Amino acid sequence: MPSAGLVFQSFVLGLLLGGLYALLAAGLTLYFGIMRVVMIAHSAFLILAAYLAWWTHARLGIDPLLSMVVTVPLFFGVGVALQRLLLARLRAATLTMMSVLLTFAIAVLVEGLLGYAFSGTQRRIQLGYGSASFGLFGARIAVVKLIAFGLAAVALATLYLVLKKSTLGWALRATIQHQDAARLIGIDTERVAGYGFGLGLATAAVGGTALSLDTTIYPSLHWHWIGPLMAIIVVGGLGSVPGAAAAAMLLGMAQSLLQIPMGTTWAQTVFYLALFATLALRPQGFFGGRLAQRF
Amino acid sequence: MRLAGLALLAVAVLSFPSMAPNPYILSTGVVVINYAVLATSWNFVGGFTGYISLGHGALAGLGGYGTALLVTRAGLPSFVALAVAGALVAALAVPIGFAALRVRGASFVIVSIALVLIMLLVFQSWASFTGGSRGLVVPRPFPGMLRPEHHRVFYFLFAGLLGLALLAWWLIDRSRFGLGLKAIREDEDKAEALGTPTFAYKLVVFVVSAAFTGLAGGLYALWFGDLDPVFQFSILTGSYMVLMALLGGVRHLFGPLLGALVVGIALEYFKAEFGNTPLHLVATGLLLGLVVMFMPDGVLPALGALARRVLRPPAQISIRDVTAAELAQRQPGGVR
Amino acid sequence: MSPPSSVETQGLTKAFGGVVALDGATVSFHHGKVNALIGPNGSGKTTYFNCVTGMIRPDSGRTTYKGRDITGKPPHVIARAGIGRTFQICRVFARMSALDNVLAAVRPGGLVGGLRGARRKAEVERALSWLTRLGIEHLAGVEARDLSWGQQKLLELAGVLMADPRTVLLDEPAGGVNPALLERIGSLVRELNAEGRTFIIVEHNMELVMSISDHIVVFDRGRPIAEGTPSQIRTDERVLGAYLGV
Repeated sequence: MPSAGLVFQSFVLGLLLGGLYALLAAGLTLYFGIMRVVMIAHSAFLILAAYLAWWTHARLGIDPLLSMVVTVPLFFGVGVALQRLLLARLRAATLTMMSVLLTFAIAVLVEGLLGYAFSGTQRRIQLGYGSASFGLFGARIAVVKLIAFGLAAVALATLYLVLKKSTLGWALRATIQHQDAARLIGIDTERVAGYGFGLGLATAAVGGTALSLDTTIYPSLHWHWIGPLMAIIVVGGLGSVPGAAAAAMLLGMAQSLLQIPMGTTWAQTVFYLALFATLALRPQGFFGGRLAQRF
Repeated sequence: MRLAGLALLAVAVLSFPSMAPNPYILSTGVVVINYAVLATSWNFVGGFTGYISLGHGALAGLGGYGTALLVTRAGLPSFVALAVAGALVAALAVPIGFAALRVRGASFVIVSIALVLIMLLVFQSWASFTGGSRGLVVPRPFPGMLRPEHHRVFYFLFAGLLGLALLAWWLIDRSRFGLGLKAIREDEDKAEALGTPTFAYKLVVFVVSAAFTGLAGGLYALWFGDLDPVFQFSILTGSYMVLMALLGGVRHLFGPLLGALVVGIALEYFKAEFGNTPLHLVATGLLLGLVVMFMPDGVLPALGALARRVLRPPAQISIRDVTAAELAQRQPGGVR
Repeated sequence: MSPPSSVETQGLTKAFGGVVALDGATVSFHHGKVNALIGPNGSGKTTYFNCVTGMIRPDSGRTTYKGRDITGKPPHVIARAGIGRTFQICRVFARMSALDNVLAAVRPGGLVGGLRGARRKAEVERALSWLTRLGIEHLAGVEARDLSWGQQKLLELAGVLMADPRTVLLDEPAGGVNPALLERIGSLVRELNAEGRTFIIVEHNMELVMSISDHIVVFDRGRPIAEGTPSQIRTDERVLGAYLGV
């Protein structure tokens, strides 16, 4: 029978984990909402950002968080370019399918380049404060996890503000809800879609950096993430950022708590179980409300 | 004319082993023909229904591990194990299909990817049963046989399986069942409104696809002799299948075979040239990306269209009314 | 004595989010006749069709066809029960030839039957005869996506008729067609009705409706508000009110 302390610790960790997942999944669901694109390469970009953060620290001696100064705008630009130059060229009739294959190809490409540039050796950031932790009502929480959560919270809050308050955000939400209507009121949906993609990849830059603080990274790590992330966005409702956040918190918590009885590896199956349950019971997701799309 | 081409193809395929200069080339041939079977098996689902599965690697892996475990744990003779494993994969495909085929488009792709990832997780974690990451050694079905002979025999076995898969594909292609599947590909709801039992159709073709894929995986296990979850349940394998089928043309019988030839040979060449560096991943990604962007119907159809435009005067390929008599003349079995 | 019913619904209700498309639609269409379903835009006519043919699940209510309950059955079962339908925006199989489009309606007849050739002589002849009857047999080998709008409409109808439905639901058959084609469609409906097929036609073109219908049902805001013969409907105040928003 696990101790209350252990459960509480897992609970807190689950919270922190859920927050991080929420950030990682936000971009993924955003792409789908804007363009009905399943961006399989999102997790590959996460790992790319993680590698860049590691490289900044290991080779340049700078704190990995500072790598975001470069990676965030860089990834934004890449996102815009990806959408405008590649995805926009796909035929509308088979967009979803072809975008899957195309982004899959990009993911494989990124993995290959990462492996070539950094070799397959596993990397881990060795931070001065990397092993520090502090206590909270008996639970030991690693400082890096807290920083990662903090990053996620700030990034998500920024995303929220952008979507709710800025002109771009309004245009983006209009495009997500009804592309034709958005065009009719003068929104350049193509441009907006490009910026939306940029936003999504920018969150990947932040998310990847957050990941790098506490994870051992290697080129094929992105496969480890794309499954759970896709499960999260399906459970949350494809296209809904708040839905993804809610699902992320729920599943992150579940994973953390299930690690006690089931161990780390088997606890991961919770994502897939949730995915199949969603598809069987409510394919449009549980938390997305009217925003959620069905495939 | 067609039969002659077919005979030529058969001869070419069957005479390869005798023409291979060394056992290494011969083993490459086995790998390529394995790809051909996998790609053709995938194309039952991808080509007929239009559902893109990135998870067929899971079915191949199940066939491989199924065969291996039946031989090592249950003591079945190799080829009996193969047959049973194939049947098991087909049986498993029913509940899998039930879950996966309820959704379409992007969700289906997501489910198919999730399938591979789950299998990988399970087979890596359940080390006591499957050998986990240490791998699983499969005893050779013909112990004492020398390497080259071993490769030869399996080459022909794979060729036989390929022949069966091609035959099955051809049968479905020209059948009413096949027409119903193609209708599903064009407009699933309309097909259903017209009276086609779409779910049942999708499930049946999925099971057929799974059976062939599982058999290919099992045969590979018997040939290669050493299984590792990371390679057996690989999304990459699944993506190769898709790439090969797309490249060659999903609406054509020999499309996946052609794609397998091109991609398979290129892959082995890259591996030989660049060692086992990740550059072959770069090449795969680039190739898949190029095919999706510029030749989504496949190389075969693209080349065919090009050839038609070059070889025949434009007047003949414009939209033209065809009389019933001309139609009967032109479409004896029909393609598409 | 009320005429035998074809499609009959009781209290059919369907809401999409906050929008109530069908509000307790209880109506009975007459077997063997040409029925029309008219009403202002947004009155739920297409949703009605979708519920009857099984493409959408109604929130509540019952649908029966010739006395048999078909509520909630999947579309292909309802199609096999003898109900065929066309769509408002006509749906054909774009990358298949016109002939294949019509052949797709053939019942496979079980596992073994399904493996039989798709282009057997008898079926091809039957398909060609339908194409001929609709005047497009010369387009048999052309891919559906290369046909004009009017030709696609005729093709869609040919495919539906190939399945030999007792009852045919037409969703705005006159939509976007020229007067000559309209004439053809009108006389075709009358011919097929004389051969024993029941029709239920959603339509806005009043001239067509009045000229070929035996029985008209008027929808407004998701439920029937009037029904009767053309002459009755023409002078019904409630109908005028619904259309003019009075």
